[in-house]
Amino acid sequence: MAETDTQPQEEQKAQAAPQIPGIPAPPALDMSWAKVPTYRPPRPKIGDEGFTLRLADAGPYAWVPDHWPYENDTPRGSFPAKENMGLPAPYTIYDKVEVWADNCADLYELGIKEQWKPATQISWSTIEPIAEHIEAAIDQIVSNISEQSYNSAQTLMGRLKEISYGFHEVKLYLSTQTFDHARHLEAFRKRALANGGGLGVQTPGFFNRTCYAAFKWTEWVIYVNIIRTSFLLAICEFGDRIGRSQADRQLFDLTANDLRRHLAYGIEHLRFYLQMGDDQKRRNVRIWLERGEVMMAADLRRDTPLREAFILALGDTVEKGKAALKELRQAQLRKYLLALEAATYTGHEQRVVAPLKDVIENP
Amino acid sequence: MDSKIIEELRRESAGEDLDLSWLEKPAAERGLRVQPGKRGLTLEDIATGSYGELPDVTRNQSGRMRGAAPRTDAQNMQQHWPFRSASWSESAMLLYEEAVQRQWSSATDIPWTDLPELPEDLELAMSQLCTFLTQVEFIAGDVPGQYAPNVSAEYFEIGMFLASQIMDEARHLDVFRKRALANGIGLLKAGPGAVGLLTAQDFTEMTSTLHLVGEGFVQSLFRMGEMFAQTEVDKRMFRLAAQDESRHVAFGVMHMKYVLEHEPERKEEIHTYLDRMEGQLGSGSTQAGLTGGGETGEALAILLGGGTSETQLREGYNKLLAIRKRQVNEYMHRLEVVGLGDRRQRMNPMMQMLLDPPRN
Repeated sequence: MAETDTQPQEEQKAQAAPQIPGIPAPPALDMSWAKVPTYRPPRPKIGDEGFTLRLADAGPYAWVPDHWPYENDTPRGSFPAKENMGLPAPYTIYDKVEVWADNCADLYELGIKEQWKPATQISWSTIEPIAEHIEAAIDQIVSNISEQSYNSAQTLMGRLKEISYGFHEVKLYLSTQTFDHARHLEAFRKRALANGGGLGVQTPGFFNRTCYAAFKWTEWVIYVNIIRTSFLLAICEFGDRIGRSQADRQLFDLTANDLRRHLAYGIEHLRFYLQMGDDQKRRNVRIWLERGEVMMAADLRRDTPLREAFILALGDTVEKGKAALKELRQAQLRKYLLALEAATYTGHEQRVVAPLKDVIENP
Repeated sequence: MDSKIIEELRRESAGEDLDLSWLEKPAAERGLRVQPGKRGLTLEDIATGSYGELPDVTRNQSGRMRGAAPRTDAQNMQQHWPFRSASWSESAMLLYEEAVQRQWSSATDIPWTDLPELPEDLELAMSQLCTFLTQVEFIAGDVPGQYAPNVSAEYFEIGMFLASQIMDEARHLDVFRKRALANGIGLLKAGPGAVGLLTAQDFTEMTSTLHLVGEGFVQSLFRMGEMFAQTEVDKRMFRLAAQDESRHVAFGVMHMKYVLEHEPERKEEIHTYLDRMEGQLGSGSTQAGLTGGGETGEALAILLGGGTSETQLREGYNKLLAIRKRQVNEYMHRLEVVGLGDRRQRMNPMMQMLLDPPRN
């Protein structure tokens, strides 16, 4: 720890501070804040990626403790004002295992770099009138995605205040995810209203409700970043087959790119939670996966408008549409299982709940 | 929908189990063909027909997006505020679109490689100021975020704006942290922070304390960055951050204006929130007070004066007072815009003495 040279205290006090009429005189020069024993980092060597979080958090600033000790908004690496820490915050997450993912800092920078603008970066004018029932089918699909995105955004934003300040990379990354959800809500809603259609029928809401009801952070991540994102990403990767215009394809491609970051956080967090946690944590994961699968199955089974919209959008005939829907459902399940495997939660294929298996095989 | 198409679909091979009632008799308005304008396809463009009709009160507790067709078996969340006035701000759509268009990157939009070495006292002061800013900035993300689950899908634009604010605050936490770490000093002393803002129990209380006061004061400070920033790099950082803060303040101002126009009976209640905030700001001894000491006040005075000599400090504190005056007068202007012009007479005396005479 380098001490910073400052003028001797007595000499500083001798400097007369200005008297301002009506306002108490400022105190004599103190600068005790300049002498706190924090780490003096080397000047960063900035490359093509710019001044990234990873570059900035050098040396001790990069060290993330397993347990964050401060209850207020003290930044990691600063000298805490122990004499006046202010009101303890409502944070509930102080243990790294509960929230961490090693890729947060990189995903944050990537999230900013890859942000897109629905108003101006989608070629809206390329959308041309199509058969009315196909347009209605696309509208139903995009309405569903839009609603899910709002639910993800709302439930995520509400949870940010749970995460203590020591894990700032996580909070920063999650802010990009929040903003992604908002833009997905926006972009898919715009699509529904852009081509002679309108919004479709709302979702049954079982999964939405489950996201609201999650008690734990990792539980929420399993619902949103693992299950929902796997299922949505598979839909976006079917975008060429669902969409009918350049704008549709752009919309699905750009959204898919965002969702891959969300999935990457989900996988890395789950892996960390499993590797650093005890057996109980593994049991928790199993319970959350089961609950999420049951609720996802409930939505898929009950959502007749969405099912039929996929059939109409994906096939030239109803028969082909049904076959394509089964293909989509299988792709969704596959993506979900691969995500779990990447998070070191292997062998789950045999344990997927029966209602979800059923709706995948008999969509 | 052409009934022939429906019949044909049902008659198709494998079509016998199709319901298609959602297609046959859509419950949501159809036939919209919204075209992009000069600013692209904006939220305001699509707030048209029934999709642009915002109810003053709603029973929608299911998360159904405004204008979508309802389901009778939809799940009930029972936690969305039913009143438009609880969160609405007329500027939300415009400000959200602006936020999307004006995002910037702390990694690449600040010319970090041009950052010169500064005299040590000045670099220390900048690092201390940035330690304070990185500490408090994301509280301004946590605070609005906590209300997002309560914003009904009838007023989803509010939720979207809050998401954009959270993104901005993340970038602010990030950029000020980077600045403290960029030039050889690092983070310095944390203060008591801004956790108190999280105690708000109501959205309007939040906008009063966070947007109208807290962020408003920070916005005024950032806009004076030309005075205390020592380098072009720092000036750019404060300019970009000020631009973001302006949106947050505008959102809050328009929310409070809406509330006071539609629920004038809340005026005294809102005054009590401001009494509390002004009590903290006007005490003169807190970091946010800026004039009378504290780590941040001293750091600012050093930056404004250009050093720590007696003359420089005197000049620094005088300039800090000018910033303080500007903060208070811009605050007064916001109060007048929202309909709280009478606050001039009841403002904390420590702040009142900095007010310019009222404009006629």
